[in-house]
Amino acid sequence: MSSDQDKLIAESVEKALQGDMDAINNIEDRVTRSKAKAALVKANREAKAAVAEETPRAEKSKAEEAPQAEQTFAAQVAVALEKKFPGSLDTEDVNGHIQMKGEQWYEAAQYLRDNPDFLFDSLQCVTGYDYGTSEDLEVRYNLHSMTHHHAIEIRIKIDRNDSKIPSVEQVWRIGDWFERETYDMYGIEFVGHSNMTRILCPEDWAGWPLRKDYETQEMYHGIVVPKVKDGWE
Amino acid sequence: MGVLENRFQDNVVVASMDKLLGWARSTSPWFFQFGLACCAIEMMATAASRYDLMRIGMIPRSSPRQADVMIVAGTVTMKMSLRVKKLYEQMADPKYVIAMGSCATSGGPYWQYGYHVLKGVDLVVPVDVYIPGCPPRPEALIEGLLKLQEKIQAERPLTKKIA
Ligand code: SF4
Repeated sequence: MSSDQDKLIAESVEKALQGDMDAINNIEDRVTRSKAKAALVKANREAKAAVAEETPRAEKSKAEEAPQAEQTFAAQVAVALEKKFPGSLDTEDVNGHIQMKGEQWYEAAQYLRDNPDFLFDSLQCVTGYDYGTSEDLEVRYNLHSMTHHHAIEIRIKIDRNDSKIPSVEQVWRIGDWFERETYDMYGIEFVGHSNMTRILCPEDWAGWPLRKDYETQEMYHGIVVPKVKDGWE
Repeated sequence: MGVLENRFQDNVVVASMDKLLGWARSTSPWFFQFGLACCAIEMMATAASRYDLMRIGMIPRSSPRQADVMIVAGTVTMKMSLRVKKLYEQMADPKYVIAMGSCATSGGPYWQYGYHVLKGVDLVVPVDVYIPGCPPRPEALIEGLLKLQEKIQAERPLTKKIA
Protein backbone atom coordinates (compact mmCIF):
# COMPACT_ATOMS: atom_id res chain seq x y z
CA MET A 1 0.00 0.00 0.00
CA SER A 2 2.71 2.38 1.07
CA SER A 3 4.78 1.83 -2.04
CA ASP A 4 1.65 2.36 -4.15
CA GLN A 5 1.11 5.65 -2.41
CA ASP A 6 4.72 6.70 -2.94
CA LYS A 7 4.48 5.86 -6.59
CA LEU A 8 1.27 7.86 -6.98
CA ILE A 9 2.80 10.85 -5.24
CA ALA A 10 5.96 10.69 -7.32
CA GLU A 11 3.97 10.50 -10.53
CA SER A 12 1.62 13.35 -9.72
CA VAL A 13 4.48 15.59 -8.55
CA GLU A 14 6.26 14.87 -11.78
CA LYS A 15 3.16 15.92 -13.72
CA ALA A 16 2.61 19.01 -11.56
CA LEU A 17 6.16 20.15 -12.17
CA GLN A 18 5.34 20.09 -15.85
CA GLY A 19 2.39 22.38 -15.17
CA ASP A 20 -0.45 19.90 -14.72
CA MET A 21 -1.83 20.61 -11.23
CA ASP A 22 -4.89 18.45 -11.88
CA ALA A 23 -2.80 15.35 -11.33
CA ILE A 24 -2.46 16.27 -7.67
CA ASN A 25 -5.88 17.82 -7.24
CA ASN A 26 -7.56 14.68 -8.54
CA ILE A 27 -6.06 12.36 -5.92
CA GLU A 28 -8.99 10.90 -4.01
CA ASP A 29 -7.39 10.25 -0.63
CA ARG A 30 -6.95 13.45 1.39
CA VAL A 31 -3.83 12.33 3.21
CA THR A 32 -2.13 11.27 -0.01
CA ARG A 33 -3.12 14.52 -1.66
CA SER A 34 -1.58 16.69 1.06
CA LYS A 35 1.54 14.54 1.05
CA ALA A 36 1.80 15.04 -2.68
CA LYS A 37 1.44 18.81 -2.28
CA ALA A 38 4.20 18.88 0.33
CA ALA A 39 6.41 16.90 -2.00
CA LEU A 40 5.69 19.37 -4.77
CA VAL A 41 6.71 22.33 -2.61
CA LYS A 42 9.92 20.55 -1.73
CA ALA A 43 10.66 19.73 -5.35
CA ASN A 44 10.05 23.36 -6.33
CA ARG A 45 12.39 24.60 -3.66
CA GLU A 46 15.14 22.25 -4.77
CA ALA A 47 14.68 23.33 -8.35
CA LYS A 48 14.99 26.99 -7.33
CA ALA A 49 18.14 26.36 -5.30
CA ALA A 50 19.68 24.63 -8.28
CA VAL A 51 18.91 27.65 -10.46
CA ALA A 52 20.27 30.06 -7.87
CA GLU A 53 23.53 28.18 -7.76
CA GLU A 54 23.98 28.76 -11.42
CA THR A 55 22.98 32.42 -11.51
CA PRO A 56 25.75 34.31 -9.68
CA ARG A 57 27.98 34.17 -12.69
CA ALA A 58 25.23 35.35 -15.00
CA GLU A 59 24.28 38.21 -12.66
CA LYS A 60 27.83 39.33 -12.32
CA SER A 61 28.24 39.83 -16.00
CA LYS A 62 24.94 41.74 -16.03
CA ALA A 63 26.14 44.06 -13.27
CA GLU A 64 29.26 44.79 -15.20
CA GLU A 65 27.24 45.87 -18.16
CA ALA A 66 24.69 47.93 -16.26
CA PRO A 67 26.47 51.29 -15.74
CA GLN A 68 27.53 51.27 -19.32
CA ALA A 69 23.94 50.75 -20.45
CA GLU A 70 22.81 53.69 -18.31
CA GLN A 71 25.47 55.93 -19.72
CA THR A 72 24.59 55.02 -23.21
CA PHE A 73 21.00 55.96 -22.51
CA ALA A 74 21.89 59.46 -21.32
CA ALA A 75 24.26 59.70 -24.26
CA GLN A 76 21.50 58.52 -26.61
CA VAL A 77 19.23 61.30 -25.40
CA ALA A 78 22.06 63.81 -25.72
CA VAL A 79 22.80 62.73 -29.26
CA ALA A 80 19.13 62.94 -30.22
CA LEU A 81 18.87 66.42 -28.70
CA GLU A 82 21.99 67.62 -30.46
CA LYS A 83 20.68 66.28 -33.76
CA LYS A 84 17.26 67.90 -33.37
CA PHE A 85 18.44 71.16 -31.80
CA PRO A 86 22.03 71.81 -32.93
CA GLY A 87 24.01 73.75 -30.37
CA SER A 88 21.54 73.18 -27.56
CA LEU A 89 23.97 71.19 -25.43
CA ASP A 90 26.25 73.05 -23.07
CA THR A 91 28.81 70.28 -23.05
CA GLU A 92 29.03 67.02 -24.95
CA ASP A 93 30.30 65.36 -21.82
CA VAL A 94 27.41 63.20 -20.64
CA ASN A 95 27.90 61.88 -17.16
CA GLY A 96 24.51 60.53 -16.13
CA HIS A 97 22.88 63.87 -16.78
CA ILE A 98 22.63 66.26 -19.70
CA GLN A 99 23.95 69.80 -19.45
CA MET A 100 21.91 72.03 -21.74
CA LYS A 101 21.68 75.66 -22.71
CA GLY A 102 18.53 77.56 -21.86
CA GLU A 103 17.56 79.02 -25.23
CA GLN A 104 15.83 76.05 -26.81
CA TRP A 105 14.73 74.39 -23.60
CA TYR A 106 10.99 74.84 -24.18
CA GLU A 107 11.10 73.16 -27.60
CA ALA A 108 13.48 70.49 -26.34
CA ALA A 109 11.12 69.74 -23.45
CA GLN A 110 8.24 69.23 -25.86
CA TYR A 111 10.44 67.00 -27.98
CA LEU A 112 11.47 64.89 -24.99
CA ARG A 113 7.87 64.48 -23.92
CA ASP A 114 6.43 63.59 -27.32
CA ASN A 115 9.19 61.62 -29.05
CA PRO A 116 8.09 57.95 -29.01
CA ASP A 117 11.63 56.84 -28.14
CA PHE A 118 11.69 58.85 -24.92
CA LEU A 119 8.12 59.74 -23.88
CA PHE A 120 9.18 61.60 -20.74
CA ASP A 121 5.61 62.16 -19.60
CA SER A 122 6.42 62.92 -16.00
CA LEU A 123 8.38 65.84 -14.59
CA GLN A 124 9.35 64.59 -11.17
CA CYS A 125 11.25 67.47 -9.70
CA VAL A 126 12.59 70.92 -10.44
CA THR A 127 15.50 71.97 -8.29
CA GLY A 128 17.44 75.19 -8.05
CA TYR A 129 21.15 75.16 -7.30
CA ASP A 130 23.53 77.92 -6.34
CA TYR A 131 27.22 77.33 -7.04
CA GLY A 132 28.42 80.23 -4.90
CA THR A 133 28.13 83.97 -4.48
CA SER A 134 29.96 84.83 -7.69
CA GLU A 135 29.07 81.71 -9.67
CA ASP A 136 26.15 80.67 -11.78
CA LEU A 137 22.77 79.39 -10.74
CA GLU A 138 21.44 76.14 -12.13
CA VAL A 139 18.07 74.51 -12.63
CA ARG A 140 17.79 70.76 -12.65
CA TYR A 141 14.88 68.84 -14.10
CA ASN A 142 14.26 65.18 -13.31
CA LEU A 143 12.26 63.51 -16.03
CA HIS A 144 10.78 60.04 -15.97
CA SER A 145 8.87 58.01 -18.49
CA MET A 146 5.94 55.97 -17.27
CA THR A 147 5.93 53.98 -20.49
CA HIS A 148 9.60 53.12 -20.86
CA HIS A 149 10.56 53.31 -17.18
CA HIS A 150 13.63 55.34 -17.86
CA ALA A 151 14.75 58.60 -16.33
CA ILE A 152 17.08 61.45 -17.13
CA GLU A 153 18.31 64.60 -15.48
CA ILE A 154 18.62 67.83 -17.43
CA ARG A 155 20.72 70.65 -15.99
CA ILE A 156 20.70 74.20 -17.26
CA LYS A 157 23.07 76.87 -15.99
CA ILE A 158 21.98 80.50 -15.85
CA ASP A 159 23.64 83.77 -15.02
CA ARG A 160 22.81 84.82 -11.46
CA ASN A 161 22.37 88.48 -12.44
CA ASP A 162 20.02 87.71 -15.32
CA SER A 163 18.36 84.56 -14.08
CA LYS A 164 15.79 83.85 -16.75
CA ILE A 165 14.84 80.51 -18.26
CA PRO A 166 11.91 79.36 -20.44
CA SER A 167 9.05 77.92 -18.42
CA VAL A 168 7.92 74.36 -19.09
CA GLU A 169 4.66 74.81 -17.23
CA GLN A 170 2.77 74.34 -20.49
CA VAL A 171 4.64 71.10 -21.23
CA TRP A 172 4.20 69.44 -17.84
CA ARG A 173 1.40 71.00 -15.80
CA ILE A 174 3.08 69.94 -12.55
CA GLY A 175 5.81 72.40 -13.46
CA ASP A 176 3.52 75.19 -12.30
CA TRP A 177 4.22 74.85 -8.58
CA PHE A 178 7.73 73.44 -9.00
CA GLU A 179 8.76 76.53 -10.91
CA ARG A 180 7.03 78.86 -8.50
CA GLU A 181 8.90 77.28 -5.62
CA THR A 182 12.22 77.58 -7.44
CA TYR A 183 11.39 81.18 -8.17
CA ASP A 184 10.49 81.76 -4.54
CA MET A 185 13.76 80.34 -3.22
CA TYR A 186 16.28 81.34 -5.91
CA GLY A 187 14.72 84.21 -7.79
CA ILE A 188 14.98 82.33 -11.06
CA GLU A 189 12.37 83.74 -13.38
CA PHE A 190 10.57 81.25 -15.58
CA VAL A 191 9.61 83.18 -18.69
CA GLY A 192 6.19 82.19 -20.00
CA HIS A 193 4.84 80.96 -16.69
CA SER A 194 1.20 81.97 -16.26
CA ASN A 195 1.52 83.04 -12.62
CA MET A 196 5.10 83.76 -11.67
CA THR A 197 4.58 84.73 -8.01
CA ARG A 198 5.97 83.53 -4.71
CA ILE A 199 4.41 80.35 -3.39
CA LEU A 200 5.72 79.90 0.17
CA CYS A 201 7.14 83.18 1.41
CA PRO A 202 4.85 86.20 1.80
CA GLU A 203 4.27 88.09 -1.43
CA ASP A 204 6.18 91.14 -0.17
CA TRP A 205 9.19 89.23 1.17
CA ALA A 206 12.57 90.62 0.18
CA GLY A 207 15.35 88.47 -1.23
CA TRP A 208 15.81 84.86 -2.28
CA PRO A 209 16.33 82.67 0.81
CA LEU A 210 18.30 79.78 -0.73
CA ARG A 211 20.85 81.89 -2.57
CA LYS A 212 24.25 81.81 -0.94
CA ASP A 213 24.39 85.58 -0.59
CA TYR A 214 20.98 85.87 1.06
CA GLU A 215 20.66 88.13 4.06
CA THR A 216 17.53 88.07 6.19
CA GLN A 217 15.68 91.33 6.30
CA GLU A 218 15.65 93.15 9.65
CA MET A 219 11.98 94.06 9.79
CA TYR A 220 8.81 92.72 8.26
CA HIS A 221 5.72 94.92 8.69
CA GLY A 222 7.18 96.34 11.88
CA ILE A 223 8.06 92.92 13.33
CA VAL A 224 11.66 92.08 14.14
CA VAL A 225 12.77 89.11 12.05
CA PRO A 226 16.09 87.94 13.55
CA LYS A 227 15.88 88.04 17.31
CA VAL A 228 19.20 86.63 18.42
CA LYS A 229 20.01 87.96 21.83
CA ASP A 230 23.48 89.08 22.90
CA GLY A 231 25.56 86.31 24.36
CA TRP A 232 23.52 83.51 22.81
CA GLU A 233 25.36 81.28 20.45
CA MET B 1 -20.13 83.49 58.66
CA GLY B 2 -22.32 84.33 61.56
CA VAL B 3 -23.62 87.43 59.85
CA LEU B 4 -25.05 85.55 56.90
CA GLU B 5 -26.31 82.44 58.64
CA ASN B 6 -30.07 81.98 58.63
CA ARG B 7 -30.69 85.35 57.05
CA PHE B 8 -31.67 83.98 53.63
CA GLN B 9 -34.00 81.28 52.38
CA ASP B 10 -32.69 77.90 51.18
CA ASN B 11 -30.85 77.69 47.83
CA VAL B 12 -29.72 81.24 47.84
CA VAL B 13 -26.05 81.79 47.20
CA VAL B 14 -24.34 84.98 48.08
CA ALA B 15 -21.29 86.05 46.16
CA SER B 16 -19.58 89.17 45.04
CA MET B 17 -20.32 90.12 41.47
CA ASP B 18 -16.61 90.13 40.63
CA LYS B 19 -16.10 86.61 41.85
CA LEU B 20 -19.24 85.40 40.14
CA LEU B 21 -18.07 86.83 36.83
CA GLY B 22 -14.62 85.39 37.34
CA TRP B 23 -16.06 81.99 38.07
CA ALA B 24 -18.32 82.07 35.02
CA ARG B 25 -15.56 83.23 32.70
CA SER B 26 -12.92 80.88 33.95
CA THR B 27 -14.99 77.73 33.78
CA SER B 28 -16.00 78.06 30.16
CA PRO B 29 -13.09 79.47 28.19
CA TRP B 30 -13.93 78.32 24.70
CA PHE B 31 -10.84 78.12 22.59
CA PHE B 32 -10.17 79.06 19.06
CA GLN B 33 -9.06 76.03 17.15
CA PHE B 34 -6.30 76.50 14.68
CA GLY B 35 -3.21 74.37 14.50
CA LEU B 36 -0.06 75.63 12.83
CA ALA B 37 2.39 72.73 13.11
CA CYS B 38 3.26 69.62 15.09
CA CYS B 39 2.04 71.08 18.41
CA ALA B 40 -1.45 71.11 16.95
CA ILE B 41 -1.46 67.32 17.07
CA GLU B 42 -0.96 67.44 20.84
CA MET B 43 -3.70 70.05 21.09
CA MET B 44 -6.06 67.78 19.18
CA ALA B 45 -5.11 64.88 21.43
CA THR B 46 -5.87 67.05 24.44
CA ALA B 47 -9.26 67.93 23.08
CA ALA B 48 -10.10 64.35 22.20
CA SER B 49 -11.65 61.78 24.51
CA ARG B 50 -8.60 60.54 26.45
CA TYR B 51 -7.72 63.93 27.93
CA ASP B 52 -11.13 65.47 27.29
CA LEU B 53 -10.87 69.24 27.52
CA MET B 54 -14.64 69.39 27.94
CA ARG B 55 -14.00 68.51 31.59
CA ILE B 56 -12.73 72.00 32.20
CA GLY B 57 -15.37 73.63 30.07
CA MET B 58 -13.32 74.09 26.92
CA ILE B 59 -14.94 73.60 23.55
CA PRO B 60 -13.13 74.27 20.27
CA ARG B 61 -14.72 77.03 18.22
CA SER B 62 -14.03 77.59 14.57
CA SER B 63 -14.64 81.31 14.59
CA PRO B 64 -12.65 83.95 16.44
CA ARG B 65 -15.92 85.72 17.23
CA GLN B 66 -17.06 82.88 19.48
CA ALA B 67 -13.77 82.18 21.18
CA ASP B 68 -12.29 83.45 24.43
CA VAL B 69 -8.88 81.80 24.29
CA MET B 70 -6.51 81.53 21.39
CA ILE B 71 -4.14 78.59 21.70
CA VAL B 72 -1.27 79.31 19.35
CA ALA B 73 -0.20 75.72 18.73
CA GLY B 74 2.81 75.54 16.50
CA THR B 75 5.31 77.42 14.40
CA VAL B 76 4.18 80.91 13.44
CA THR B 77 5.76 81.95 10.17
CA MET B 78 6.17 85.58 9.20
CA LYS B 79 3.43 85.06 6.64
CA MET B 80 1.09 83.72 9.29
CA SER B 81 2.03 86.28 11.93
CA LEU B 82 0.00 89.01 10.26
CA ARG B 83 -2.95 86.66 10.09
CA VAL B 84 -2.58 85.64 13.74
CA LYS B 85 -2.68 89.31 14.66
CA LYS B 86 -5.78 89.84 12.55
CA LEU B 87 -7.51 86.84 14.12
CA TYR B 88 -6.64 88.08 17.59
CA GLU B 89 -8.13 91.45 16.78
CA GLN B 90 -11.33 89.77 15.65
CA MET B 91 -11.89 88.04 18.98
CA ALA B 92 -14.33 89.65 21.41
CA ASP B 93 -13.17 90.84 24.81
CA PRO B 94 -12.25 89.38 27.25
CA LYS B 95 -9.66 87.44 25.29
CA TYR B 96 -6.62 85.43 26.25
CA VAL B 97 -3.69 83.93 24.39
CA ILE B 98 -1.75 80.79 25.20
CA ALA B 99 1.62 80.26 23.51
CA MET B 100 1.91 76.51 23.24
CA GLY B 101 5.31 74.95 22.60
CA SER B 102 8.72 76.49 22.16
CA CYS B 103 7.94 77.68 18.61
CA ALA B 104 5.14 79.96 19.72
CA THR B 105 7.13 80.99 22.79
CA SER B 106 10.46 81.86 21.20
CA GLY B 107 10.80 80.49 17.70
CA GLY B 108 11.74 77.04 18.95
CA PRO B 109 14.16 75.07 16.78
CA TYR B 110 14.07 77.93 14.26
CA TRP B 111 15.18 80.62 16.66
CA GLN B 112 18.48 81.28 14.92
CA TYR B 113 18.44 80.22 11.29
CA GLY B 114 14.72 80.20 10.56
CA TYR B 115 14.55 83.34 8.47
CA HIS B 116 10.82 82.97 7.96
CA VAL B 117 9.75 82.11 11.52
CA LEU B 118 8.35 84.59 14.00
CA LYS B 119 10.55 84.49 17.10
CA GLY B 120 7.75 84.20 19.60
CA VAL B 121 4.10 85.03 19.14
CA ASP B 122 4.43 87.71 21.85
CA LEU B 123 5.93 89.93 19.17
CA VAL B 124 2.48 90.34 17.65
CA VAL B 125 -0.11 89.57 20.35
CA PRO B 126 -0.04 89.74 24.18
CA VAL B 127 0.44 86.29 25.71
CA ASP B 128 -1.07 85.20 29.02
CA VAL B 129 0.43 81.76 29.51
CA TYR B 130 3.55 80.20 28.00
CA ILE B 131 3.78 76.43 27.84
CA PRO B 132 7.28 75.06 27.27
CA GLY B 133 7.91 71.81 25.42
CA CYS B 134 8.47 70.58 21.92
CA PRO B 135 5.70 69.60 21.80
CA PRO B 136 4.23 69.92 25.31
CA ARG B 137 2.39 66.83 26.42
CA PRO B 138 -1.37 67.12 26.88
CA GLU B 139 -0.82 67.17 30.64
CA ALA B 140 1.36 70.25 30.20
CA LEU B 141 -1.28 71.93 28.07
CA ILE B 142 -3.94 71.17 30.67
CA GLU B 143 -1.64 72.54 33.37
CA GLY B 144 -1.30 75.72 31.34
CA LEU B 145 -5.06 75.96 30.89
CA LEU B 146 -5.60 75.55 34.63
CA LYS B 147 -3.07 78.32 35.20
CA LEU B 148 -5.05 80.48 32.80
CA GLN B 149 -8.23 79.67 34.70
CA GLU B 150 -6.56 80.80 37.92
CA LYS B 151 -5.54 83.99 36.22
CA ILE B 152 -9.03 84.67 34.95
CA GLN B 153 -10.52 83.92 38.35
CA ALA B 154 -8.22 86.41 40.00
CA GLU B 155 -9.43 89.22 37.78
CA ARG B 156 -11.75 91.83 39.24
CA PRO B 157 -13.53 93.16 36.17
CA LEU B 158 -16.00 95.36 38.07
CA THR B 159 -13.72 96.74 40.72
CA LYS B 160 -12.47 100.19 39.93
CA LYS B 161 -8.74 100.26 39.82
CA ILE B 162 -7.11 102.93 41.92
CA ALA B 163 -4.65 104.64 39.73
S1 SF4 C 1 7.43 73.57 19.51
FE1 SF4 C 1 8.23 71.70 18.57
S2 SF4 C 1 6.40 70.40 18.37
FE2 SF4 C 1 5.68 72.50 18.68
S3 SF4 C 1 5.37 73.32 16.65
FE3 SF4 C 1 7.44 73.87 17.28
S4 SF4 C 1 8.74 72.24 16.44
FE4 SF4 C 1 6.64 71.49 16.43
